[in-house]
Amino acid sequence: VDAARLTDAARLRPRRAAVSPDQRFLGILDTSPFRIAIAYSIAFACGAALLIGGVDFAVSRVVDSSTDNLIDAEVQGLREQVLVLSRNDFIELIEQRSQDQDVRGAVYLMVDPQLRPVAGNVPAWPTKPDSDDGKWIQFKVAVPYGDETREHEMRARRFKLPGGYDMLVGHDVQERQDVKNLMMRGLIAAVVLTLLLGLGGGFWMGRRILAQAGAISAVATQIMRGDLSQRLPVRDADDEINTLAREINTMLDRIEQLTLGMRTVLDSAAHDLRTPLNRLQSTAEGAMSQVTPGSPERRVLERVSVEVDHMRSTLDALLRIALAETGTVAREAVSLSELVASMVELYAPVSEERGITLESAVAEGAQVQGSRQLLAQALANLLDNAIKFTPEGGRIRVSLLTPAAGPEVVVEDNGPGIPADKREIVLGRRVRLDQARKVPGSGLGLSLVAAVTKLHGARLVLDDAAPGLRVSLKF
Amino acid sequence: MHILIVEDDEVARDHLAKALREVGHTVDVAADGLAGLHMASSIAIDLAIVDRMLPKLDGLALVQSLRATGRKLPVLILSALGEVDDRITGLKAGGDDYLTKPYHVAELLARVDALARRGESGNAETSTKLKLADLELDRMTRRVTRDGKKIELTAREFQLLEFMMRHSGQVVTRTMLLEGVWDYHFDPQTNVIDVHISRLRQAIDKDFDKPLLHTVRGAGYSLREDE
Repeated sequence: VDAARLTDAARLRPRRAAVSPDQRFLGILDTSPFRIAIAYSIAFACGAALLIGGVDFAVSRVVDSSTDNLIDAEVQGLREQVLVLSRNDFIELIEQRSQDQDVRGAVYLMVDPQLRPVAGNVPAWPTKPDSDDGKWIQFKVAVPYGDETREHEMRARRFKLPGGYDMLVGHDVQERQDVKNLMMRGLIAAVVLTLLLGLGGGFWMGRRILAQAGAISAVATQIMRGDLSQRLPVRDADDEINTLAREINTMLDRIEQLTLGMRTVLDSAAHDLRTPLNRLQSTAEGAMSQVTPGSPERRVLERVSVEVDHMRSTLDALLRIALAETGTVAREAVSLSELVASMVELYAPVSEERGITLESAVAEGAQVQGSRQLLAQALANLLDNAIKFTPEGGRIRVSLLTPAAGPEVVVEDNGPGIPADKREIVLGRRVRLDQARKVPGSGLGLSLVAAVTKLHGARLVLDDAAPGLRVSLKF
Repeated sequence: MHILIVEDDEVARDHLAKALREVGHTVDVAADGLAGLHMASSIAIDLAIVDRMLPKLDGLALVQSLRATGRKLPVLILSALGEVDDRITGLKAGGDDYLTKPYHVAELLARVDALARRGESGNAETSTKLKLADLELDRMTRRVTRDGKKIELTAREFQLLEFMMRHSGQVVTRTMLLEGVWDYHFDPQTNVIDVHISRLRQAIDKDFDKPLLHTVRGAGYSLREDE
């Protein structure tokens, strides 16, 4: 991997932009209340459609068949009449029935072989019927309505009369059609309304949930950054989110207490250990100035001073691990790119002096929230380790990668590495593998790296660099 | 120089006072925060060394009260706490430097010296040209010459030399260099600073008779003209 490509990758990586209204809208569509509301609306709409459709079907079956029976009976009657009546009497009968106000909506038409109306209340023979199945014919007739006329749907049967005449007997079914149309419109309105209400309600609830969840996640982020005094916002309501928030807040109170307690214990432990160590160091150094250099007494005092130094670095490491584990370290924006580059630069001369090639590929623009000093210490420990265990002529490679998932720091060497089955163990405190016993060190180096990694919400992975060790910190 | 030590630990206080007197300072001591604040306000003191945890008045509160009254004297804070961000709170409270216990007397003396000279050599902080014997460093042009000959340095070597020149004549410890040049506060297991210094020494001293960069045994380095 060349550095230029890494740099390009860093530039291409999209920065986390502020949430745009579009994204917020899409976010609401993703919320569970919105999805539930939509599912229910669709179910309700289907239900409403089925119900109204069923009622409409049943009603029209009943009404249709009663109308048809009525017409059938009328046709039967007229067929009998035509056999016994003269043509003129029959025409008169038709005219009579056409004008009979008691039989509302009944229609009659008798036409001659040229389809010219002879008798009846339909102005003309329907040449363009809406439907015609041979027996039943449906057509529209203009019916006067005060000053205007309205097209009415008619349902009729036709039959042949002697002498080439044709007869049409039917009924005005407009009213039924109107009811049907009304029901259909009602059905559509109901479905649309259900969907709209569901959509609107779901959107509103989704926005509410999103606002609450947003507030909660903002606070959670601050808490994860180490500000344990933060609490989740709680509204004056007893819904499940507020109940949950209250319970989480109680839990946070407890965690804060425990963490502050740990910090206090840590501070007093630090104080109680550093103070006597300091007395020891002061006394040893004070006495050293009294004795002649090179004398046996002087050597003893120097030994004491060196041991105090060892104890101090072990204590520093332990305290830093403990501090990182309490998670109470102040955090700031740290430029990982600057940090990695400057650590490589700091360690370059010493590795060169030991005949080790220190290579680096550092992507630009990588930033994390955290403690610069602890991150530097962790990186220093990894580099110290790598230099300690890499033989002369070896190679150490430090990379800062910036994949979309988050920055990753990798330190690889081609030293002896750590056997796969021991990789988990070395992260524990004070573990030094047998082969490491001949090299100086407290054995806390990787534990500190692990604690610092955890503090930054990162993942520490030990791997085989074939040959050597590959340590990766994934942020 | 008149130095006030505010420290409740008697053993450490006595040794510290003795060490400071040995190098020629006038020393006053106080065993608690209130006494320390009282002395710092009533006596003409050039520098104060204040322990962070003190009875009666906390070390940080002492420094804050001192700063509130407008006293600008340099203050070195000693701490026996867990450090990392304690250091930041210490400096924010008005401390000029921060040292964690246990410390080496040499480290403390070097830091006291640096703090004391910071006041008097105020113009060295701002002047663009630094000079020691025939060694010259121009901060504006980033040019370094010795005896008129140009010396090629990397950016970091330049920073390192600049730091050493600003503290010329003083002892500069490894931790002071790591803090001052790299802004890191940890002790590396390997001798990283020594190698950087030996490279700088190669660059500025190799071709010349009189070495300027000296190793001070048990303490650190010093850039000075040998007498």
